[in-house]
Formats: sequence, C-alpha cells, structure tokens
Amino acid sequence: MLNPRFASRALVYTLLAIAVLVVVFPLVWMLGTAVKPNGQILDLNASLWPSHFEWGNIARAWNSAPFGRWTLNSVIFSVGATLGQILTSLLAGYAFAMFDFRGKNILFYALLCGLMVPFSTVIVPVVQILADFHWLNTYQGLIVPNIASALGTFLFRQFFLGAPYQLGEAARIDGASELHVFSSVYVPLARPIIAAFGIIAFLQNWNNFLFPLIVVNTTSMDVLSQGLSVFQNQFSSSYNLIMSAALIVIAPILIVAVAAQRQIIEGITLGAIQ
Amino acid sequence: MWRGVKPTAARRRGGVKQPLVLPYLFIAPAVGLTVLFSLVPLGMLAYRSLFGGGVFATSLSYVGLQNYSNAFANGGTQSLEVTAVYTVGFVILTMGIGLAVALLLNVNVRGAAHLRAPFIIPLVMPSVGTALIWASLFAPQFGFINRILGGLGLHQADFTSTPSLALLMVLTFGVWQFFGENVILYLAALKTLPMDLVEAANVDGAGPWRRFRYIRWPLLRRSTVLIWVITTLTGLQTFTQIYILTNGGPNGSTTTALFYIFNQGFVQFNTGQADAMGVILFLISLFITVVQVGIFGRGARRDA
Repeated sequence: MLNPRFASRALVYTLLAIAVLVVVFPLVWMLGTAVKPNGQILDLNASLWPSHFEWGNIARAWNSAPFGRWTLNSVIFSVGATLGQILTSLLAGYAFAMFDFRGKNILFYALLCGLMVPFSTVIVPVVQILADFHWLNTYQGLIVPNIASALGTFLFRQFFLGAPYQLGEAARIDGASELHVFSSVYVPLARPIIAAFGIIAFLQNWNNFLFPLIVVNTTSMDVLSQGLSVFQNQFSSSYNLIMSAALIVIAPILIVAVAAQRQIIEGITLGAIQ
Repeated sequence: MWRGVKPTAARRRGGVKQPLVLPYLFIAPAVGLTVLFSLVPLGMLAYRSLFGGGVFATSLSYVGLQNYSNAFANGGTQSLEVTAVYTVGFVILTMGIGLAVALLLNVNVRGAAHLRAPFIIPLVMPSVGTALIWASLFAPQFGFINRILGGLGLHQADFTSTPSLALLMVLTFGVWQFFGENVILYLAALKTLPMDLVEAANVDGAGPWRRFRYIRWPLLRRSTVLIWVITTLTGLQTFTQIYILTNGGPNGSTTTALFYIFNQGFVQFNTGQADAMGVILFLISLFITVVQVGIFGRGARRDA
C-alpha cells in the first residue's frame, strides 16, 4: 500500500524535475551541438548527441570573429551604464528622501512620468537626438541615455526613507559636511541594496540588444549580443559554430548568475515592489 | 515594506537648517537625463508623428494624421493584432506556469528551496544567445524538434515559414525565458501569506485545491495584479527573439507593434509611420498600466 504522503511528495518532486529539465535542456542542447563534429550536423542518421566532442569548434568560432573586441565593448557599455545608474540613483534617491526643497514634488513626478514611458516606444526620437549630438557609434551614445534609472531612484529613496536619521545627525554634530554624511554614513548602509540593484542593472545592460542595435552600426563598436547576431548571418547553416559562439557569449553570464543567485533573486523581488 | 507616506528625515529633524543648493545638485543628473532621454523624446514622437520626412530629415512638412492612416494601411493593424495575441498568450502562460511552479516550490519538502535558482537562468542569459538555441531547436529538418518528429514517423514542421507556427515558436521562447521571473515573484508573495490562515484550513480538512482557491488565491490578489502589470509590459516590449528567429515574418505574422516601429524606423526609413506606431504603443502601454493599477488600487482597499 502506497503511503499517500509519500505519493504526493513524489508527485511534487516529479513535476519540479520536469520544470527544471525544461529550463536546462536548451542549454544542454547548445553544448551538445557546439561540440558536434562537422559531419554530424547535417546528417539525419547521426545521433542527436555527438559521438565525440569536438572542442576545437569553440576555438574556431572565437577566431572567426572579433569576440575579444565585442567583449571589451560589452564591458565598457555595461559597466559604464551600471555605475552611472547606481550613482545617479543613489544621489537622487537620497535627496528625495532626506531633504525638503522647492519643487520637490514636481521633480519627483517628472521622474515618475519618465518611468511610464517604455524606452522602446521612443527609440526613433532617441536616435535622432543622439545623431544631433554626433553620438551614434560612440561609447557615450551607448552609455549616457541608459544612465538615468527611475527604478533605482525609487529603490534607494525607499531605502533611505527607512534609514535611521540619528546616524546623520550624530555625524553633523561632529562637524561632518552633508556630502560626507551621504558618502560615509548612508551609502555604506545601502551596500546590500546597491549589490542587488547593481547586479540586476548590469545583467540588463549586458543583455540589452535593441538599444545597441540602433545606436551602433560598425563591427568594431558592436557589443557581444550584436556581434553574435552578425555571426549567425555569416555561418547560417554551421549550427555547431553558431552554438559554439552562443556558448562563448552565454557561459560567462551563467557563471555570474550561479555565483550571484541570491542577489539576483533579491533584485528581481525588489524591482517588483515599488 | 517601507511606505512612501513616512515623513522625510528632513521633516523629522525639525528646526535643523536645510541645505539650499545641494538637493538640486543631487537630483540633477537623474532628473535631467530622464527628461532628455524619456520625456523630450516622447514629445518629439508625438510632434513628429504629424510630419513627413526621414529619420535625419532637416525640413519637415505637416501631414496631419496621414502617418497614422498610412501605418494602419501598411501592416500596422496586423502588428497590433499580433501584439494582442502574443501578449495575451505570454501573460496567461508565464503567470500560470509561474504560479504553479511557485506553489510546488513552496510545498514543505526537503531541498525545494534550493531548486528556485535554475528558474532565473533563462531570465539573465543574453537573449540573442538563447534565441539562437531556439533557432537550432526549431530549425527545419535538422533541428531537435524536427528530428524527434521525423524519428516518430510524423510530418516535419516548418516553423519559420508557417505563420501560426512561427508565432508559436516566438511565444514558446518568450514563455521559457520569462516564466522564472513570475516563479520568483509568486514565491516571494507566498512567503508573506499569514501561515495561521493556511494552517487553519489544513486542520479543517480542506483539500489542496480548496485551500488554494479560497485561502491563498484571494490573499495573492494584490501580488497577482502587480505581476500582471510587469508581465504585460514585458510582453508588449518583446523584440530580440523576433529579430533573431523570424525577422517579423512570414508575411508579418510575427511583427509586433515594437518590431513594426523598428522595421519602419530603421529598415524601411518610414519615420513618420514608425513615430505614429510609437505613439499608439505608448498610449496602449499607458492605458493598460492605468487600468491595471486602478484595479490594483480598488483590490488593495477592499483587502485593507
């Protein structure tokens, strides 16, 4: 006789296992296809899993396109935009939480309205503005439009509203300047939330495809995602090379995701509670 | 969570002197850049949707609503239909699967808590890379799915040239990529439910379905509306997998409103039509957000 408690647990595990399998299988397929020998990709009689692993495919893919340069561009764009988002959001969030000043509400609503404009609906005028600045195909053209983060500003404002104000008072009595109170008293307090917001913002910038696509159109300025889509057009039926290229682009982020899973989950949750 | 209605630290400080210029310096970068790259472009979009001329045109000619009627006549109507079908499918599937997996992870069995990490993987991977995996899974003849169909003696399916299958391919990718976000959000919401209510129902002998339907589901309503807003806006902004997998085809069957804007603005150089569709997509996003938040506000008050 089957224990009903055991049976229901077995059912939960089975369903969860299926869900995890659905998530992970495409990545396994990528790896299997990436290391397939050339003769086995366009052969209907070949087995689905490669008979032996052709690790050289990955080196071949790396050498077929300027992946090094694209990685550098992705790093400059993502790090620049993320640091900018953290800095501007920290400053604005702190000011909205800690100070009273004329026009505060109107300025806050201006930010709120900015949040209501999905960036993708205004891509055409944004590119026109960047063209007026002669910023197309430049790092500043990639980075600067992405620096303001309404989400970051709200998160940090919420955090500083709940931060103990006595800490700042104590420092002020000791003669600390406002700037010092901000940078040495309150910013260190916000470190965990900076980490959670920073990792989510970094991943979003790193994975941003539409924006670089419309701002940059030279191979030397392409970010990794764009480069990968160009690569696909050049090697359209060499599935093993395309999957090797995808592996090159995906693997580093997979490592980041595993290492920072706690902050990522916290960031996703925080991002939804505004 | 913290509430915005708390008095600021400034007010709590009472008589202490407030800095005059510093606050403006602090907010200037965030507000200035938001105005320059969100609000000004929105104004430009609305204004220029009424004028003819190319992307970088120097002289504009007023054409009234001509761009709008051109957009509707040249595939714009179809793109709105595609957007509606895609977004509704996306919302139902990602929210349904997200809630189901969250409920499973929330069951008190050993190790379940560690299993939530895999679900964030598709979410944070570069979507061009994962969309290329999809392309190779769904490829004609040699793709995984067609190899399986062939192995079972079934007809192979051409996902890139059959309109309904192309949309299905794009949708399955969207669901695979995003449902993990809803797993995480629903799981966080489930953790905040008052356990005494759920356990009381347990003691009363209510079955799992009744416990969910009458205890948890009503308590989850606020979270559900919030997740609904986020998911809908995400669905409306789908772009990458369409660009990689179908390029909007065949015959516009996977051209969403956003892809239409991209295509008209940066490939066909019909800037006026792109701007007109931009205005329409903005108004749709705004309308949906306002309606959903309106329902949210009402639901929240009833719960209180």
